Amino acid sequence: MPDAVVLRSLTKTFGEKVAVRDLDLVVPEGALYGFIGPNGAGKTTSIRMMLSILYPDSGEVEILGRRSAQEAKDRIGYLPEERGLYRRMKVRELLEYMAALKGCEGAGLRKRVDEWLEQVGLGAAAGKRCEELSKGMQQKVQVLAAMIHQPDLLVLDEPFSGLDPVNQRLLRELVLEQHRRGATVLFSTHAMSHAEQLCDRIVMVHRGEKVLDDTLQGIRTRFDPHSLWFEPRRSEDDPASLSALDWVRAVRRDGSVWEVVPREGVDLSAAFGLLSAAMPPARIELRRPTLEDVFIEIVAGTGADLGEQSQLRATVRDGVGETEAAS
Amino acid sequence: MKKIMLVAVREFMATVSTKAFIFGVLFTPLLLLSLAVLLPRLMDDAPPKVAGEIAVIDPTGLVGGAVASHLAPEALAARREDQRRRIAAAAEQAAPVGKEVARQAAESALGEVPRLRVAVLDPGTDIESAKAPLIAEADAKGDSGRLAVVVIHKDAVQRSDPSTAFGTYDMFVRGKLDDRVEDEIRRGVREAIIEARVERSGLQRAVIEGLTTVRAPDSRTVTKKGESRTNEVANLFVPGGFMMLLLLSVLTGGQYLLMSTIEEKSNRVMEVLVAAVSPFELMTGKILGQMAVGLLVLAIYAVLGISALALFAAFGALDPWLIVFLLVFYLLAYLTIGALMAAIGSAVNDVREAQSLMMPIMLLTMLPWMLWVPILRDPNGALATTLSFIPPVGNFVMLLRLSSTAAPPMWQTLLSIVVSAVGVWAALWFAAKVFRVGILMSGKPPSFATLLRWARMG
Repeated sequence: MPDAVVLRSLTKTFGEKVAVRDLDLVVPEGALYGFIGPNGAGKTTSIRMMLSILYPDSGEVEILGRRSAQEAKDRIGYLPEERGLYRRMKVRELLEYMAALKGCEGAGLRKRVDEWLEQVGLGAAAGKRCEELSKGMQQKVQVLAAMIHQPDLLVLDEPFSGLDPVNQRLLRELVLEQHRRGATVLFSTHAMSHAEQLCDRIVMVHRGEKVLDDTLQGIRTRFDPHSLWFEPRRSEDDPASLSALDWVRAVRRDGSVWEVVPREGVDLSAAFGLLSAAMPPARIELRRPTLEDVFIEIVAGTGADLGEQSQLRATVRDGVGETEAAS
Repeated sequence: MKKIMLVAVREFMATVSTKAFIFGVLFTPLLLLSLAVLLPRLMDDAPPKVAGEIAVIDPTGLVGGAVASHLAPEALAARREDQRRRIAAAAEQAAPVGKEVARQAAESALGEVPRLRVAVLDPGTDIESAKAPLIAEADAKGDSGRLAVVVIHKDAVQRSDPSTAFGTYDMFVRGKLDDRVEDEIRRGVREAIIEARVERSGLQRAVIEGLTTVRAPDSRTVTKKGESRTNEVANLFVPGGFMMLLLLSVLTGGQYLLMSTIEEKSNRVMEVLVAAVSPFELMTGKILGQMAVGLLVLAIYAVLGISALALFAAFGALDPWLIVFLLVFYLLAYLTIGALMAAIGSAVNDVREAQSLMMPIMLLTMLPWMLWVPILRDPNGALATTLSFIPPVGNFVMLLRLSSTAAPPMWQTLLSIVVSAVGVWAALWFAAKVFRVGILMSGKPPSFATLLRWARMG
């Protein structure tokens, strides 16, 4: 299958600061990619270079089979991180204008604009000026503006930030709809949970360098923590005592739950039985790696200190609460 | 090319459909024009008819009768006709200023002939009791009763000592007496007193008037094209008007371009736009869109100006080539200044930051405005010639010279256009480079040196 996006050793510096270093990336056609990393990791700079808004100091870009996004502009939909609308333009006019700039015109356009506005609950706002809309509504209009011309490649920079849970779900639906239609989707986020829910492949950047590029399944296998979450049924039981068991390597407390790590070679499904026999459980659960864990593990490997780790954890966790409420 | 046109059309529509534009640019001149047309018609409405009595207390016994004959309706009508003729003659003298306008103005300034009765009171009448009827109400038939009391001084006609000045007269008038009627009464009394004085001195009025009158000269301007009546007003204001028109339209388009670029940047629409069109297409579209806005302004004010000239019957004085040159120099001046405005707009974050970068450009465009009079005094002098070859000042100066009485040589006109075209090319090149870098820049406002570095970067 041909590739929608190919980046070869892309590098960009702003003065002293290296924003992106030696970035390689291949996004096959029809894929749904998550581009993740904390604020300032180089996501937006990479995307801008991908779209020929910025030019790399070195490296090559290939978009939809062209040497530059300049030549494929009409087939790309882009939602920048710093979003804006013409404040005085009416919503319908704005969407029609954006579509026309992308070479999309004709009788069907107005109908499609109205249908899409209806779909995201903005049917009544079609004739309003953009400045009359709330921030969330404006953001939905911007998302529609990026998709209205049915692009082959959809690039969304932090699409979920600033949306409430209901609208986050709505946006997820819109993105999946484009994906099903056959569009290649690449979106960046610093909230790992969004990527986990949506993507089939994850690219992680940190300090301008790519630190991970794998399928979600691959990441789970590779970073399997091989441990169980445990919660005792009786309050007088102390799970710390479980560390005395011969098949247990370690027991760690994490809030109200405990993490029980079996020794190498112990089958996890067997561990379920052993654990419930040793102490009556309220809950036993297979612990799966979250992107957050993976990210922290990778960053810890690159030599970040503990302070930096907790700071990273805070930034990548941003927005998790909202999503949980939605799902 | 299609995308450029899309951007241009949006730019134009977004600008001209704002209330600020409609009121500021369209409504104001239309209001002025309609006032210019309507006001004279409104003023044609004659003042209310005046009828009433003028009381004269004349201790000399020489003036009273004359006042009566000078204020008789026939005398007033005759004097008015005379004045009308004199104004018409003056209008003729001032050349192509419309006779009709002057006649209308004269008519409305004079008002309808008042019907005045003159009552010569006994010289011993008490002034206070003579004044009393001035306060009385007008009767139903429109007769106001006593309008004024004129008290002639004893020495108004004859002096006891020739080294002292003649006496004069006192006048008491009713409140709300039309000032034109009051003037009429004064004129009548004055005439009566002068007549009496002249008669007492044994001289003849006609002789004195003949001796003291010198008719206005017939002033003519001599040019290569031949002689024509000197029209100082037109000589100064037609070129000035043309330059104003050019300056106004160029600056309107330029300002709107600056504002809309800054708006797109501060609104963060810019990044969406450059993902859809190239920065060069975006800039070109914006420049073209505002060029159309400037042209619209130019057209509106030009039509207004030509209507004004037509109103004063001076349309014939206009060389149609000037309209062509106006368009050519508009395009050259706008493209130079518009390109620079687009570059500045793309580089700054808000209007405040734009001010410092705008200063040199504003000074450049103000230069011909400040030097308007010296350039016109010597349209082919060193100052005017030098300035003609400095873009974008040259466009304004050249238009000023072309519309003056001493047109510049053809080669200078053509050379100025060529130099300006080179200026346009340089400005567009510079703007394209700066625009590409500037639109996504934020943070510290750049200086001109920074802009030049950006231009060299690309």
